[in-house]
Amino acid sequence: MPHITYRNACVEFVDDVYEPAEDSFLLADAALDLAKQGMKILEIGTGTGFVAAVLKANLDVDLLATDINPYAVKCACNNGVPTIRADMFSAFKSLKCFDMIIFNPPYLPTLEEDKVPGWLNYAFDGGVDGTASLHRFLEGLVSYLCHKGIVLVLVSSLTGIEKAISWMEGYGLETEVVVKEKCFFEELVVLKGILKAGPE
Amino acid sequence: MEILACPLCKGDLVLNVQSKEDAEIITGTLYCKKCNEYYPIDEGIPNMLPPHLRE
Repeated sequence: MPHITYRNACVEFVDDVYEPAEDSFLLADAALDLAKQGMKILEIGTGTGFVAAVLKANLDVDLLATDINPYAVKCACNNGVPTIRADMFSAFKSLKCFDMIIFNPPYLPTLEEDKVPGWLNYAFDGGVDGTASLHRFLEGLVSYLCHKGIVLVLVSSLTGIEKAISWMEGYGLETEVVVKEKCFFEELVVLKGILKAGPE
Repeated sequence: MEILACPLCKGDLVLNVQSKEDAEIITGTLYCKKCNEYYPIDEGIPNMLPPHLRE
């Protein structure tokens, strides 16, 4: 089975699941930097489970992940990440119980004719302008993130980094860029948002 | 288990265990009474997609 070894984690990958790449490494680095022992952490759209597996290999954290792609769910479970098959947050109660929520959204602007066949499309398809999944994620997020909880999102210059920051601010998240990297034709950043106290 | 909800109505689910290995549930179902919908657990993995998204 092909695999990647990164920061103490050994992660297998399979066909039909997004293969960890620069964006995954960047997000894993940022997550490892900000996560603390004992945190309750949720990763949405975990794919191979790469980011969660890196956390698990280095920290004692309470992890849970979701993916919509059945091959990804199986692959992540085989990589030691407890994963359930679900569409974003839809299978969770709105308990605001996670200390950290991580998401590497599909962000490629995708028209009907650009779609790739099968479940792998979910790894890339960000809707017509590339922001559909990020919007859905941000809309749901505040019902699941605890007060002062941290959200980490990977955003590409293809999506628009400043735009993404202002959307996050609009959802009550104090937002900043924690890491960035130039990568071929795009710039990748990890945005950290901290949930400010909402109106009571 | 205590944080899982029905993806359609966000209501509580009833767990039915068919097989277990140590503490881990291998096969079973999660049932939403309100929607009369079953969410299968297979090979230890809950499938929490509403039926129209499963395939």
